[in-house]
Amino acid sequence: MPRFEKIEYKPIPVRELLLEMKNLSELMIDLAYSSALFNDKELAEDVLELEGRVDTLAYLLEMETMIAARDAEDAEALIGVSEVASAVDKISDAAADIAAIVTQNIGVHPIVGEIFEKVEERLTRAKVDEGSILVGNYIGELGLAARMGVDIIAIRRNKDWVINPKETEQIQSSDILIARGAPSGIKEFKELAEGKRQKLED
Amino acid sequence: MSQRQKQFEEIVERFVELKDTSELMIDLAYSSLLLNNRELAEEVQRLEEYMDKLHTDFELLVLSSKFKKEEAKGFLGLIRLGVVTEKIADSAAEIAEVVLREIKPHPILKLTIEEAEETVTYVRVSENSSLINKTLREARIPGETGMWVLAIRRGDKCIRPKPDSKIEVGDVLIASGYAEGEEDLKKLASP
Repeated sequence: MPRFEKIEYKPIPVRELLLEMKNLSELMIDLAYSSALFNDKELAEDVLELEGRVDTLAYLLEMETMIAARDAEDAEALIGVSEVASAVDKISDAAADIAAIVTQNIGVHPIVGEIFEKVEERLTRAKVDEGSILVGNYIGELGLAARMGVDIIAIRRNKDWVINPKETEQIQSSDILIARGAPSGIKEFKELAEGKRQKLED
Repeated sequence: MSQRQKQFEEIVERFVELKDTSELMIDLAYSSLLLNNRELAEEVQRLEEYMDKLHTDFELLVLSSKFKKEEAKGFLGLIRLGVVTEKIADSAAEIAEVVLREIKPHPILKLTIEEAEETVTYVRVSENSSLINKTLREARIPGETGMWVLAIRRGDKCIRPKPDSKIEVGDVLIASGYAEGEEDLKKLASP
Protein backbone atom coordinates (compact mmCIF):
# COMPACT_ATOMS: atom_id res chain seq x y z
CA MET A 1 0.00 0.00 0.00
CA PRO A 2 1.41 3.42 -0.88
CA ARG A 3 1.65 5.94 1.89
CA PHE A 4 -0.63 8.91 1.46
CA GLU A 5 0.41 12.11 3.13
CA LYS A 6 -2.11 14.34 4.83
CA ILE A 7 -2.59 17.53 2.87
CA GLU A 8 -3.05 20.80 4.65
CA TYR A 9 -4.09 23.98 2.97
CA LYS A 10 -1.24 26.33 2.08
CA PRO A 11 -1.78 29.70 0.45
CA ILE A 12 0.03 29.25 -2.87
CA PRO A 13 -1.16 31.16 -5.94
CA VAL A 14 -3.11 28.99 -8.40
CA ARG A 15 -0.85 30.13 -11.21
CA GLU A 16 2.22 28.76 -9.42
CA LEU A 17 0.51 25.48 -8.63
CA LEU A 18 -0.70 24.94 -12.17
CA LEU A 19 2.63 25.94 -13.69
CA GLU A 20 4.49 23.49 -11.49
CA MET A 21 1.99 20.74 -12.27
CA LYS A 22 2.37 21.37 -15.99
CA ASN A 23 6.18 21.40 -15.86
CA LEU A 24 6.32 18.28 -13.71
CA SER A 25 3.89 16.39 -15.91
CA GLU A 26 6.00 17.15 -18.99
CA LEU A 27 9.19 16.05 -17.28
CA MET A 28 7.48 12.90 -16.00
CA ILE A 29 6.39 11.83 -19.46
CA ASP A 30 9.94 12.12 -20.77
CA LEU A 31 11.39 10.31 -17.76
CA ALA A 32 8.77 7.60 -17.91
CA TYR A 33 9.31 6.68 -21.56
CA SER A 34 13.05 6.51 -21.01
CA SER A 35 12.59 4.36 -17.92
CA ALA A 36 10.42 1.89 -19.80
CA LEU A 37 12.37 1.73 -23.04
CA PHE A 38 15.74 1.36 -21.36
CA ASN A 39 14.50 -0.55 -18.34
CA ASP A 40 15.81 2.05 -15.89
CA LYS A 41 14.40 1.41 -12.42
CA GLU A 42 15.82 4.58 -10.87
CA LEU A 43 14.14 6.79 -13.45
CA ALA A 44 10.91 4.89 -12.89
CA GLU A 45 11.14 5.48 -9.12
CA ASP A 46 11.65 9.19 -9.75
CA VAL A 47 8.51 9.27 -11.86
CA LEU A 48 6.46 7.63 -9.12
CA GLU A 49 7.78 10.07 -6.57
CA LEU A 50 6.93 13.03 -8.81
CA GLU A 51 3.48 11.59 -9.28
CA GLY A 52 2.88 11.91 -5.56
CA ARG A 53 3.97 15.50 -5.73
CA VAL A 54 1.62 16.33 -8.60
CA ASP A 55 -1.23 14.76 -6.61
CA THR A 56 -0.46 17.03 -3.66
CA LEU A 57 -0.36 20.07 -5.93
CA ALA A 58 -3.69 19.04 -7.45
CA TYR A 59 -5.32 18.95 -4.01
CA LEU A 60 -3.89 22.35 -3.11
CA LEU A 61 -5.07 23.79 -6.39
CA GLU A 62 -8.56 22.49 -5.90
CA MET A 63 -8.72 24.01 -2.43
CA GLU A 64 -7.48 27.31 -3.82
CA THR A 65 -10.15 27.43 -6.53
CA MET A 66 -12.85 26.51 -4.00
CA ILE A 67 -11.87 29.44 -1.85
CA ALA A 68 -11.70 31.80 -4.82
CA ALA A 69 -15.19 31.04 -6.10
CA ARG A 70 -17.77 33.16 -4.29
CA ASP A 71 -20.58 33.15 -6.80
CA ALA A 72 -21.76 31.67 -10.10
CA GLU A 73 -19.71 34.11 -12.12
CA ASP A 74 -16.50 33.18 -10.28
CA ALA A 75 -17.31 29.51 -10.70
CA GLU A 76 -17.77 29.95 -14.45
CA ALA A 77 -14.47 31.81 -14.66
CA LEU A 78 -12.60 29.14 -12.70
CA ILE A 79 -14.04 25.94 -14.11
CA GLY A 80 -11.59 26.07 -17.03
CA VAL A 81 -8.64 26.22 -14.63
CA SER A 82 -9.91 23.28 -12.66
CA GLU A 83 -10.59 21.22 -15.81
CA VAL A 84 -7.10 21.89 -17.14
CA ALA A 85 -5.57 21.00 -13.78
CA SER A 86 -7.42 17.71 -13.75
CA ALA A 87 -6.22 16.93 -17.29
CA VAL A 88 -2.64 17.71 -16.27
CA ASP A 89 -3.06 15.43 -13.27
CA LYS A 90 -4.24 12.71 -15.62
CA ILE A 91 -1.14 13.17 -17.79
CA SER A 92 1.03 12.64 -14.72
CA ASP A 93 -1.00 9.51 -13.88
CA ALA A 94 -0.29 8.27 -17.40
CA ALA A 95 3.43 8.79 -16.81
CA ALA A 96 3.16 6.78 -13.59
CA ASP A 97 1.45 3.99 -15.55
CA ILE A 98 4.48 3.86 -17.83
CA ALA A 99 6.86 3.76 -14.85
CA ALA A 100 4.81 0.94 -13.36
CA ILE A 101 5.67 -1.23 -16.38
CA VAL A 102 9.23 -1.10 -15.04
CA THR A 103 8.62 -1.24 -11.29
CA GLN A 104 6.26 -4.20 -11.67
CA ASN A 105 8.98 -6.05 -13.59
CA ILE A 106 6.97 -6.38 -16.77
CA GLY A 107 9.41 -4.44 -18.93
CA VAL A 108 9.36 -3.65 -22.61
CA HIS A 109 11.06 -5.99 -25.06
CA PRO A 110 14.75 -4.94 -25.08
CA ILE A 111 15.01 -4.81 -28.87
CA VAL A 112 12.47 -2.00 -28.82
CA GLY A 113 14.82 0.20 -26.78
CA GLU A 114 17.73 -0.54 -29.10
CA ILE A 115 15.78 0.52 -32.17
CA PHE A 116 14.17 3.46 -30.42
CA GLU A 117 17.56 4.85 -29.50
CA LYS A 118 18.39 5.25 -33.19
CA VAL A 119 15.44 7.55 -33.77
CA GLU A 120 15.04 9.40 -30.49
CA GLU A 121 17.31 10.87 -27.86
CA ARG A 122 17.41 9.17 -24.54
CA LEU A 123 17.46 10.52 -21.01
CA THR A 124 19.97 9.65 -18.39
CA ARG A 125 20.32 10.16 -14.68
CA ALA A 126 23.68 10.81 -13.08
CA LYS A 127 24.64 11.50 -9.50
CA VAL A 128 27.28 14.19 -9.12
CA ASP A 129 30.28 12.83 -7.27
CA GLU A 130 32.08 15.20 -4.92
CA GLY A 131 35.20 14.80 -7.05
CA SER A 132 33.42 15.67 -10.30
CA ILE A 133 34.69 18.69 -12.21
CA LEU A 134 31.06 19.77 -12.65
CA VAL A 135 30.73 20.69 -8.97
CA GLY A 136 30.51 24.43 -8.41
CA ASN A 137 30.01 25.22 -12.10
CA TYR A 138 27.09 27.14 -13.50
CA ILE A 139 25.19 25.24 -16.17
CA GLY A 140 25.66 28.12 -18.61
CA GLU A 141 29.46 27.99 -18.23
CA LEU A 142 29.74 24.32 -19.07
CA GLY A 143 28.41 24.59 -22.61
CA LEU A 144 27.30 20.96 -22.55
CA ALA A 145 24.95 21.41 -25.48
CA ALA A 146 27.69 22.76 -27.76
CA ARG A 147 30.36 20.33 -26.53
CA MET A 148 28.51 17.05 -26.45
CA GLY A 149 24.91 17.69 -27.44
CA VAL A 150 23.60 17.18 -23.91
CA ASP A 151 20.98 19.25 -22.10
CA ILE A 152 20.32 19.11 -18.37
CA ILE A 153 16.53 19.12 -18.11
CA ALA A 154 16.13 18.68 -14.37
CA ILE A 155 18.06 18.49 -11.13
CA ARG A 156 17.01 16.56 -8.11
CA ARG A 157 18.53 18.02 -4.99
CA ASN A 158 17.61 16.06 -1.87
CA LYS A 159 13.83 16.13 -1.92
CA ASP A 160 13.56 19.13 -4.25
CA TRP A 161 13.42 19.26 -7.99
CA VAL A 162 14.63 22.06 -10.23
CA ILE A 163 12.86 21.70 -13.55
CA ASN A 164 14.41 23.25 -16.68
CA PRO A 165 17.30 24.72 -14.66
CA LYS A 166 18.53 28.13 -15.73
CA GLU A 167 22.04 28.86 -16.99
CA THR A 168 22.78 30.47 -13.62
CA GLU A 169 22.04 27.29 -11.69
CA GLN A 170 25.11 25.97 -9.89
CA ILE A 171 25.79 22.24 -9.84
CA GLN A 172 26.35 20.84 -6.38
CA SER A 173 27.87 17.65 -5.07
CA SER A 174 25.23 14.86 -4.72
CA ASP A 175 22.86 16.54 -7.18
CA ILE A 176 21.09 14.07 -9.39
CA LEU A 177 21.14 15.41 -12.91
CA ILE A 178 18.63 14.36 -15.53
CA ALA A 179 19.92 15.01 -19.01
CA ARG A 180 18.90 14.43 -22.59
CA GLY A 181 21.16 13.85 -25.57
CA ALA A 182 22.67 11.53 -28.15
CA PRO A 183 24.09 8.24 -26.77
CA SER A 184 27.77 9.22 -27.11
CA GLY A 185 27.28 12.58 -25.40
CA ILE A 186 25.21 11.02 -22.66
CA LYS A 187 27.98 8.53 -21.88
CA GLU A 188 30.59 11.27 -21.64
CA PHE A 189 28.28 13.38 -19.51
CA LYS A 190 27.64 10.56 -17.06
CA GLU A 191 31.36 9.97 -16.67
CA LEU A 192 31.93 13.67 -15.99
CA ALA A 193 29.21 13.75 -13.35
CA GLU A 194 30.42 10.59 -11.66
CA GLY A 195 33.98 11.90 -11.53
CA LYS A 196 35.30 9.22 -13.91
CA ARG A 197 36.42 11.76 -16.47
CA GLN A 198 38.24 14.88 -15.38
CA LYS A 199 38.40 16.98 -18.47
CA LEU A 200 35.82 18.79 -20.61
CA GLU A 201 36.67 18.15 -24.24
CA ASP A 202 36.05 20.87 -26.79
CA MET B 1 18.19 -7.63 -42.09
CA SER B 2 16.39 -10.45 -40.38
CA GLN B 3 12.64 -10.80 -40.59
CA ARG B 4 12.54 -10.41 -36.84
CA GLN B 5 14.48 -7.16 -36.77
CA LYS B 6 12.23 -5.77 -39.49
CA GLN B 7 9.17 -6.66 -37.52
CA PHE B 8 10.48 -4.83 -34.47
CA GLU B 9 11.37 -1.80 -36.53
CA GLU B 10 7.81 -1.61 -37.71
CA ILE B 11 6.52 -1.87 -34.16
CA VAL B 12 8.84 0.91 -32.99
CA GLU B 13 7.88 3.08 -35.94
CA ARG B 14 4.19 2.75 -35.08
CA PHE B 15 4.87 3.35 -31.41
CA VAL B 16 6.86 6.51 -32.13
CA GLU B 17 3.97 7.76 -34.22
CA LEU B 18 1.54 7.14 -31.36
CA LYS B 19 3.84 8.82 -28.87
CA ASP B 20 4.52 11.82 -31.10
CA THR B 21 0.87 12.28 -31.97
CA SER B 22 -0.16 12.24 -28.31
CA GLU B 23 2.53 14.79 -27.45
CA LEU B 24 1.61 16.94 -30.42
CA MET B 25 -1.96 16.92 -29.13
CA ILE B 26 -0.80 18.25 -25.78
CA ASP B 27 1.18 21.04 -27.44
CA LEU B 28 -1.76 21.97 -29.63
CA ALA B 29 -4.21 21.78 -26.73
CA TYR B 30 -2.15 24.23 -24.67
CA SER B 31 -1.81 26.51 -27.67
CA SER B 32 -5.54 26.39 -28.31
CA LEU B 33 -6.11 27.44 -24.73
CA LEU B 34 -3.54 30.20 -24.82
CA LEU B 35 -4.89 31.68 -28.02
CA ASN B 36 -8.49 30.77 -27.28
CA ASN B 37 -8.45 29.27 -30.76
CA ARG B 38 -11.27 26.97 -31.80
CA GLU B 39 -9.56 25.68 -34.93
CA LEU B 40 -6.62 24.33 -32.95
CA ALA B 41 -8.93 22.79 -30.39
CA GLU B 42 -10.84 21.09 -33.22
CA GLU B 43 -7.54 19.84 -34.62
CA VAL B 44 -6.89 18.17 -31.25
CA GLN B 45 -10.30 16.48 -31.33
CA ARG B 46 -9.71 15.32 -34.89
CA LEU B 47 -6.34 13.91 -33.86
CA GLU B 48 -7.98 12.00 -31.06
CA GLU B 49 -10.01 10.05 -33.57
CA TYR B 50 -6.87 9.48 -35.59
CA MET B 51 -5.16 8.20 -32.43
CA ASP B 52 -7.85 5.58 -31.99
CA LYS B 53 -7.06 4.21 -35.42
CA LEU B 54 -3.29 4.33 -34.84
CA HIS B 55 -3.69 2.62 -31.50
CA THR B 56 -5.77 -0.22 -32.89
CA ASP B 57 -3.29 -0.76 -35.72
CA PHE B 58 -0.45 -0.79 -33.19
CA GLU B 59 -2.14 -3.31 -30.95
CA LEU B 60 -2.96 -5.58 -33.87
CA LEU B 61 0.62 -5.41 -35.07
CA VAL B 62 2.01 -6.27 -31.63
CA LEU B 63 -0.47 -9.08 -31.10
CA SER B 64 0.19 -10.60 -34.50
CA SER B 65 3.96 -10.78 -34.03
CA LYS B 66 4.93 -14.33 -33.32
CA PHE B 67 6.57 -14.29 -29.94
CA LYS B 68 7.87 -16.97 -27.67
CA LYS B 69 6.37 -17.60 -24.30
CA GLU B 70 9.31 -16.01 -22.48
CA GLU B 71 8.89 -12.86 -24.56
CA ALA B 72 5.25 -12.38 -23.59
CA LYS B 73 6.08 -9.90 -20.83
CA GLY B 74 8.10 -7.70 -23.14
CA PHE B 75 5.15 -7.59 -25.52
CA LEU B 76 2.74 -6.88 -22.72
CA GLY B 77 4.94 -3.89 -21.84
CA LEU B 78 4.52 -2.65 -25.41
CA ILE B 79 0.74 -3.01 -25.28
CA ARG B 80 0.69 -1.03 -22.02
CA LEU B 81 2.82 1.73 -23.53
CA GLY B 82 0.24 2.03 -26.27
CA VAL B 83 -2.58 2.31 -23.74
CA VAL B 84 -0.76 5.18 -22.03
CA THR B 85 -0.37 7.19 -25.24
CA GLU B 86 -4.13 6.93 -25.60
CA LYS B 87 -4.60 8.21 -22.05
CA ILE B 88 -2.36 11.17 -22.77
CA ALA B 89 -4.31 11.89 -25.92
CA ASP B 90 -7.55 11.85 -23.91
CA SER B 91 -6.13 14.39 -21.49
CA ALA B 92 -5.15 16.66 -24.36
CA ALA B 93 -8.68 16.38 -25.74
CA GLU B 94 -10.05 17.40 -22.32
CA ILE B 95 -7.89 20.51 -22.34
CA ALA B 96 -9.08 21.40 -25.84
CA GLU B 97 -12.67 20.81 -24.74
CA VAL B 98 -12.44 23.84 -22.45
CA VAL B 99 -11.97 25.99 -25.56
CA LEU B 100 -14.74 24.24 -27.50
CA ARG B 101 -17.20 24.78 -24.66
CA GLU B 102 -16.51 28.47 -25.00
CA ILE B 103 -15.35 28.78 -21.45
CA LYS B 104 -13.53 32.08 -21.42
CA PRO B 105 -9.92 31.22 -20.58
CA HIS B 106 -9.04 32.54 -17.16
CA PRO B 107 -6.01 34.88 -17.19
CA ILE B 108 -4.25 32.33 -14.99
CA LEU B 109 -4.17 29.87 -17.87
CA LYS B 110 -2.47 32.37 -20.14
CA LEU B 111 0.13 33.11 -17.50
CA THR B 112 0.80 29.42 -17.01
CA ILE B 113 1.43 28.62 -20.62
CA GLU B 114 3.72 31.64 -20.97
CA GLU B 115 4.47 31.85 -24.61
CA ALA B 116 4.56 34.91 -26.76
CA GLU B 117 2.05 33.78 -29.29
CA GLU B 118 -0.58 35.91 -30.87
CA THR B 119 -2.13 34.25 -33.85
CA VAL B 120 -2.38 30.91 -35.57
CA THR B 121 -2.03 30.50 -39.27
CA TYR B 122 -2.34 27.63 -41.74
CA VAL B 123 -0.27 27.68 -44.91
CA ARG B 124 0.02 25.11 -47.65
CA VAL B 125 3.45 24.42 -49.12
CA SER B 126 3.12 24.91 -52.87
CA GLU B 127 5.21 23.37 -55.65
CA ASN B 128 7.41 26.43 -56.12
CA SER B 129 8.23 26.91 -52.44
CA SER B 130 11.88 27.02 -51.41
CA LEU B 131 10.94 25.04 -48.29
CA ILE B 132 10.40 21.77 -50.15
CA ASN B 133 12.75 18.96 -49.10
CA LYS B 134 14.30 21.13 -46.43
CA THR B 135 14.36 20.02 -42.84
CA LEU B 136 12.88 22.42 -40.31
CA ARG B 137 16.40 23.10 -39.08
CA GLU B 138 17.46 24.14 -42.57
CA ALA B 139 14.28 26.08 -43.26
CA ARG B 140 14.88 28.47 -40.33
CA ILE B 141 11.25 29.51 -40.29
CA PRO B 142 11.29 31.23 -36.87
CA GLY B 143 14.32 33.29 -37.90
CA GLU B 144 12.88 34.23 -41.29
CA THR B 145 9.30 34.92 -40.29
CA GLY B 146 8.97 35.06 -36.51
CA MET B 147 6.45 32.22 -36.76
CA TRP B 148 6.80 28.96 -34.90
CA VAL B 149 5.61 25.71 -36.53
CA LEU B 150 3.23 23.94 -34.13
CA ALA B 151 2.36 21.03 -36.41
CA ILE B 152 2.65 19.78 -39.97
CA ARG B 153 -0.51 18.33 -41.46
CA ARG B 154 0.20 15.78 -44.18
CA GLY B 155 -2.88 14.02 -45.57
CA ASP B 156 -4.75 12.68 -42.59
CA LYS B 157 -1.57 12.60 -40.50
CA CYS B 158 -0.40 15.37 -38.28
CA ILE B 159 3.29 15.47 -37.48
CA ARG B 160 4.97 16.89 -34.43
CA PRO B 161 7.73 19.09 -35.78
CA LYS B 162 11.30 18.07 -35.01
CA PRO B 163 14.47 19.77 -36.27
CA ASP B 164 15.00 17.01 -38.84
CA SER B 165 11.39 16.79 -40.06
CA LYS B 166 11.40 17.27 -43.81
CA ILE B 167 8.90 19.60 -45.47
CA GLU B 168 7.02 18.17 -48.46
CA VAL B 169 4.84 19.63 -51.21
CA GLY B 170 1.23 19.83 -50.08
CA ASP B 171 2.08 19.94 -46.37
CA VAL B 172 0.00 22.33 -44.33
CA LEU B 173 2.11 24.15 -41.79
CA ILE B 174 0.23 25.16 -38.68
CA ALA B 175 2.18 27.99 -37.12
CA SER B 176 1.77 30.59 -34.46
CA GLY B 177 3.46 33.87 -33.76
CA TYR B 178 2.99 37.59 -34.10
CA ALA B 179 0.53 38.65 -36.77
CA GLU B 180 3.27 40.44 -38.75
CA GLY B 181 4.94 37.13 -39.49
CA GLU B 182 1.91 35.65 -41.21
CA GLU B 183 2.56 37.31 -44.58
CA ASP B 184 6.25 36.36 -44.51
CA LEU B 185 5.38 32.75 -43.86
CA LYS B 186 2.84 32.73 -46.69
CA LYS B 187 5.44 34.15 -49.07
CA LEU B 188 7.86 31.43 -48.04
CA ALA B 189 5.40 28.52 -48.29
CA SER B 190 3.28 29.54 -51.27
CA PRO B 191 5.09 32.27 -53.17
